[in-house]
Amino acid sequence: MNPLPTPQPPNWPDKLLNWLVAPHLREEVLGDIHERYALRVQRLGERATRRTYWREVLAYVRPRFIKRQPNVSAYRAYPKPTNTDMLRNHFKIAFRTLSRHKLYTGLNVAGLTFGVTCFLLIGLYLFDELTFDQQHSRTNRIYRAIQHKKTPTEDLTMAASSYKVAEESKKQIAEIENSARINRVGRANLSNPDNKNTFQETIAFGSSGLLEMFDFEALDGDSKSGLNEPNTIVIVEELAQRLFNTTQVVGKTVIVEFMPDKPLKITAVLKSHPRNSSFTFNSIISEATIVNSDDFAQWIANWDDQNFLTFFLLKQQANPEVAAQKINNLLNINLKREAGHSVRYSLQPLADMHLYSENIEDGARNGNVEAMSQGVLLYIKIFAVVALFVLLIACINYMNLATARASNRSKEIGVRKASGAFQSHLIHQFLTESLVVTAISFLLAVVLVNLLLPAFNEFTDKELSLGIFSDYRIWLYTFVALIITALLSGSYPAFLLSRFSPLLLLKNLKLQNKGDLSLRKGLVVFQFTISVVMMIATIVLFQQVRFANNKDLGFNKELLVVIDINSGKIRSGAETIKTEFSRIPTVKNVSATSRVPGEWKTISTVKIRPEGNTDEHKIAYLIGADENFARTFEVQLLNGRNFSGMSDSTSVIVNETAAKLLGIREASAQQVEIPARGMGGSYSPLNEANQPFNARVVGIVKDFHFQSLREKIAPLVLAYQQNPVFPIDYYTARIEGRDIPATLAKMNDVLTSIDPTHQLEYHFLDEQLARFYAEDQRRETLLIWVALATIFIACLGLFGLATYAAEQRIKEIGVRKVLGASVLNLTALLSKDFLKLVLIANGIAFPLAWWATHQWLQEFAYHIDVEWWMFTVAGILSILIALATVSYQAIKAALVNPVKSLRSE
Amino acid sequence: MRRSDLGEFEEVVLLAVAVLSPRAYSVVIAEELERETGQTVSTGAVHAALQRLEQKGYLRSELGEATPERGGRRKRLFTVTALGGRVLSEVRSVRNRLWDRIIPQTILKWS
Repeated sequence: MNPLPTPQPPNWPDKLLNWLVAPHLREEVLGDIHERYALRVQRLGERATRRTYWREVLAYVRPRFIKRQPNVSAYRAYPKPTNTDMLRNHFKIAFRTLSRHKLYTGLNVAGLTFGVTCFLLIGLYLFDELTFDQQHSRTNRIYRAIQHKKTPTEDLTMAASSYKVAEESKKQIAEIENSARINRVGRANLSNPDNKNTFQETIAFGSSGLLEMFDFEALDGDSKSGLNEPNTIVIVEELAQRLFNTTQVVGKTVIVEFMPDKPLKITAVLKSHPRNSSFTFNSIISEATIVNSDDFAQWIANWDDQNFLTFFLLKQQANPEVAAQKINNLLNINLKREAGHSVRYSLQPLADMHLYSENIEDGARNGNVEAMSQGVLLYIKIFAVVALFVLLIACINYMNLATARASNRSKEIGVRKASGAFQSHLIHQFLTESLVVTAISFLLAVVLVNLLLPAFNEFTDKELSLGIFSDYRIWLYTFVALIITALLSGSYPAFLLSRFSPLLLLKNLKLQNKGDLSLRKGLVVFQFTISVVMMIATIVLFQQVRFANNKDLGFNKELLVVIDINSGKIRSGAETIKTEFSRIPTVKNVSATSRVPGEWKTISTVKIRPEGNTDEHKIAYLIGADENFARTFEVQLLNGRNFSGMSDSTSVIVNETAAKLLGIREASAQQVEIPARGMGGSYSPLNEANQPFNARVVGIVKDFHFQSLREKIAPLVLAYQQNPVFPIDYYTARIEGRDIPATLAKMNDVLTSIDPTHQLEYHFLDEQLARFYAEDQRRETLLIWVALATIFIACLGLFGLATYAAEQRIKEIGVRKVLGASVLNLTALLSKDFLKLVLIANGIAFPLAWWATHQWLQEFAYHIDVEWWMFTVAGILSILIALATVSYQAIKAALVNPVKSLRSE
Repeated sequence: MRRSDLGEFEEVVLLAVAVLSPRAYSVVIAEELERETGQTVSTGAVHAALQRLEQKGYLRSELGEATPERGGRRKRLFTVTALGGRVLSEVRSVRNRLWDRIIPQTILKWS
């Protein structure tokens, strides 16, 4: 014998051939290559043999060896069962069982499909929200500078920094690799000098670091160096399309209204921002363009302002806290502070910008720019919980129906066990069954999701998709959800049913398991509890949104057209315009104001105190208005008088809250001083001489909601339109409801006659106000649908259980009927059990729902109270729905002729 | 004559089976052919040819004993059937007849 051990060939050919070669040839083929290997090793040595071994193996990769023997019985003769046999059998049995009980299968699949559809839709939404701003390759190294400013009167947290902080940090702090600044100055007209296409756009200046740090994709031009030179601009494809009708526009020029002598060269055209990006700018002008202007010279020297939205790119592995500490040290060295004031910086990760900015003011915005869009973490959490609950309810349905039907399958299980099945076999079998049902439901749900997505996208204002091009993580999560759902819904029946002894199963042919029953009841209670909570939440949300839309705001919001003032000529021609507007027959009143109630931009604040008083200044909002303000907005004057004309340029009217703040009961020309104004937090003197604006209070108006209902009514000062604090910015006209387009056209004509280049930008105030609550409306709609889905799924489950109960008690019902029970009696008998469960569920749901909705309502300064009738409605509704579901089966069972059910035994 | 039924490689394999009988199976045949022709012959090719020949009825097979080099797997032993033997001798006689008719000078020129 050979004393050496037989050399072992490599493993992979065995595996490959085992899988490839037809079963009946495997033995000889594998034997052959092993023997050949051994022979070759003896002759050529192991290494050489291994090198050429693959040729030997590949010689078997041909149809002759791969083709399976058609005659099944012949290869059964080989004692080599494949390990898929049992699995295949499980699938076969699963399909047979499912197709035999079509009703239950239908209920299960429908329930799961609905549940999974809700789950996937909400999941897609959440995925989008949670992956905000992660499209940049260095996202996890980019941080936003947050300024924490403390003054004796207020605490401010702003996403802003000064020029010095941005620039010097980059130079002096080792952790910081690069910095980027954006400075948004307001809206202005941007035009193409060749074809005179003009659009009003938000004008922003960006430092060269902006393009270097972020990965904005460029369609044309270079996406990294576009902002290095002065007099250059980077635009986004959509704006390029509008201005030039093409996106290949690098090298062409555009002109910004306020810098007509500086044509800006387009250096790059960027792709549109993805929906899950916080950046929404349409164009960025290089900061170098204005670096020599007077304003800018001031900014450059300043350590203590909030003019720039600043981002820092940290070096690899740099600690953001250390970097922030170093910024603060730098600030401490360079900044002299007034007593009681402090400024501190922290760094916020870019990925947190969307969801974790709730208390951070977008401080770099000038009053004329809209804030970055934000998500609300609370709702993300609520939706995540809701999505999981919906899926859970669907799983519970499956469990319930499967355990309820267990006794029907006891014979099958008994026979299987008697003929030698282990418990594990049965577990596998039941899990396979649930996997099949879940997989079918998931497939249906994916189809359903794709059908619903267009509508869903429209109302969530997103671009979600679920297709082969979706992010691989979405599919991964979906797959994981599928497996977990299948295991969860299959686990209980699988582990329960496989446990019984075959003797018991075959002897009784019936499973009497008390614990099983009470668990099923518990699950039904759980399902209905969630459904009822959702119903109540929906009612409360619905009422609150209605309340917000219909609340008496203290002014009349209907039929008010607000026209933006976008050019100097239109601002200075106020008197003419107001007169011309009021000549239009359909216009009732016209007022010029700096801000309007329900304002969407920042309303400026001022420091104010009664003259002669030495207390700390109070803070109040200030709106510039004219003598028509009260009449146009229908705001009620409580006492004192209205503005009467130009002579009133130093008069102010205050609202009740402000009057209380200033200690004024009756307006009688009390003197107040207004030394400073603020916009988004930091205050600056009104003029260079630091001369306060001394005004007298001539009137008090009734409080009106000039902000959203989430805010309490704040102190408000109405100054005359020619005030030194803030110029007018809008014309507001109260118009008649008929022929609105014609009215607007006439107004536009008036404006065009004053400034031919102006652009009409108007809003209807009621629509604008509704936007405050648009998100609530969205959530309401989403919640209504999810609530409907949960109730529907729960009812499917109840329907199945009721059907089953009626089937089980068919004999009992027959006997009762023979003994004289009426149909009503029997229906009540069958429905009673289920109604009891629903009542218990209501009992649990009420306090839960009260607590949850109460918490949510605290978010609003003005909100409805949670009232008892909401609970009653939800309770009665749930009972009615449950009753309708159950009674159908109950009545059907009660109507059956007892002869039929009792005939055979 | 059924010449078209028997490929060149098949013919050689069939001959090898006849030579190695009764201990003819794919590995020894491949080894034998390698030794005779000096070219690499894979067992896969031989095996495929053996199967074809068996299909045509020229060979008969049965499972033989297992050996440790084969990992305890059995081998398939082949023997030539009467039909196979007849075909072989037919092919041979055709060849012989043709050889016989070659003029001796021609053969001399080749060598």
